[in-house]
Amino acid sequence: MIKKNYLENLNNLKKPFIIYRSNKGFDLYTDFSKKIILTKNNIKRFIKESTKIKSKKKETDLYIGFFGYEILNNLIGVKVKKQKGLKFPKGIFYKPETKLKLPNKLNYRNLKTIKSNRLFKVNINRASYKIIFDKFKKKIKFGETYQIKICTKYSNKTQIDALDFFCRLVESNMAPEAFMIKDKDYSIISCSPENLINKKNDIITTKPIAGTLKKTKKLNKKKALSFFKKNIKESKEHNMIVDMERSDLSRICKAGSVKILKKKIVEEYKDLYHYVSLIGGRLKNNISSLEIIKAMMPGGSVIGCPKISTLNLLNIQEKESRNIYTGSFGYIKFNGDMRFNIIIRSILNYKNNSEISVASGVVIDSNAKHEFNENYIKAKALMDLYK
Amino acid sequence: MIYIIDHKDSFTHNVVHQFENFDDVMCDNHNEINEEKLKKSKVIVFSPGPGAPKDYPRSSNIYKRFKGKKKMIGICLGFQQILHCEKGEIIQQKKIYHGYQSKIKVTSENSLFTKNRKFKVGRYHSLKLKEPFARKNFEITMRCDISNVAMAIENNKEKIYGFQFHPESFLTENGNLLIKKILSA
Repeated sequence: MIKKNYLENLNNLKKPFIIYRSNKGFDLYTDFSKKIILTKNNIKRFIKESTKIKSKKKETDLYIGFFGYEILNNLIGVKVKKQKGLKFPKGIFYKPETKLKLPNKLNYRNLKTIKSNRLFKVNINRASYKIIFDKFKKKIKFGETYQIKICTKYSNKTQIDALDFFCRLVESNMAPEAFMIKDKDYSIISCSPENLINKKNDIITTKPIAGTLKKTKKLNKKKALSFFKKNIKESKEHNMIVDMERSDLSRICKAGSVKILKKKIVEEYKDLYHYVSLIGGRLKNNISSLEIIKAMMPGGSVIGCPKISTLNLLNIQEKESRNIYTGSFGYIKFNGDMRFNIIIRSILNYKNNSEISVASGVVIDSNAKHEFNENYIKAKALMDLYK
Repeated sequence: MIYIIDHKDSFTHNVVHQFENFDDVMCDNHNEINEEKLKKSKVIVFSPGPGAPKDYPRSSNIYKRFKGKKKMIGICLGFQQILHCEKGEIIQQKKIYHGYQSKIKVTSENSLFTKNRKFKVGRYHSLKLKEPFARKNFEITMRCDISNVAMAIENNKEKIYGFQFHPESFLTENGNLLIKKILSA
């Protein structure tokens, strides 16, 4: 374990660092010897070469960082037209030279945290949300999409202490894929619950979430499961995602090896229950990291289904860049093993502009008012950190 | 070899995986069809996909070229594609089934499957076949147990088969058996 006040010192030094949830606590990555800013032109080369380097097996033999939404679209040949936004990089990866274990409880508080009284602005109001919603519902009737996730974005101008935000966030909303990145001109804070790729040797798994229920005193895990099972809308959304992820894995896995390892179970978190499945397979021989990433990203459960036509519908509709939202954060080890999540429940702070994006699904029987409010509730947990 | 024509669906590789249990499989996008593979294949499969049959004229073309010459199988959109080429009309249905599990029934004596057998299947469709539908050698052999919507067609003479539901879905019981029987027919 590390010294007391280590985090505080690191934060004060203004050195870039990354924290990622591990099995028992967190891993801290710092002392970056390389920083690669991804573009359309270098992404393929980066992925190919990241697993080519031969060296002694060290804990830091990896690249850690994120792929934004747009670059993942480009990677699978889906076009995103010019959008408004922060002009934030499309993806950044770092080569760390130091990796340290952090305990489950992160002791860091900035008591001087700047309180922001400014209200968050939402990019789509209730009325325009309804218009988009009805448009997509029509597309569902024509069979162009079966499920589509409308993204709304809340933004604010504030300087933040990202480490303070992250420590408070994981205290109230611990999530298995939580992470933060702090660099000179930007920070990302996320309590993502969703693992997209976990690859070790030739075994790969993905763990989609479709269905969330807020905890109440009357609920328990068993009752949550029966709620999800009885709720036809939640079940249908979940079924679709399971079949889609099976198909994405089948692209890169040996015939007959793709299996549902955990089928529609409930996982309990501090404030909510998630309806999740775990799907896995055995990779075909000679599958490259690039092929794995292209098959799995962007993660289907936060886009909709079928992936390509739904992405096209979203990209025609959305006027503002999603930036990191529904992209993926994680690492690729030199030996080809990797772990990536889906970036949701996140804050991007770039040059003191904060954005929080959220999305909820439209299927044939969803209701516009309900989904709009759902989006607000998801964003609120993060906006509360600014108080 | 089985050649699967992908209509850019997110379920196509489940279909590929399922057919790989029985033979070598090749799969290409509907707009990147390889003429060599097409000619070499013993069976052509039209995948599920978004939209309607009229959006995929190339697939209709392939169907018409190889009808009666090769075994052809259509799934969901692929099923509708075959019917569309056989002058069937594909229309919107009131209730939309995306991610739905429902019970269907074998309704014909002439089916490869036992009449009156019921089983659960996974469905992903907003469109359906308008009935009545009649076409030489074609027969509707399975129907939804509740709504009576057409769920399968068989043409055992020209070896053409189609399913409105998804045999490859985890929601379908005995999907592999179904495909095995069709492939050995």
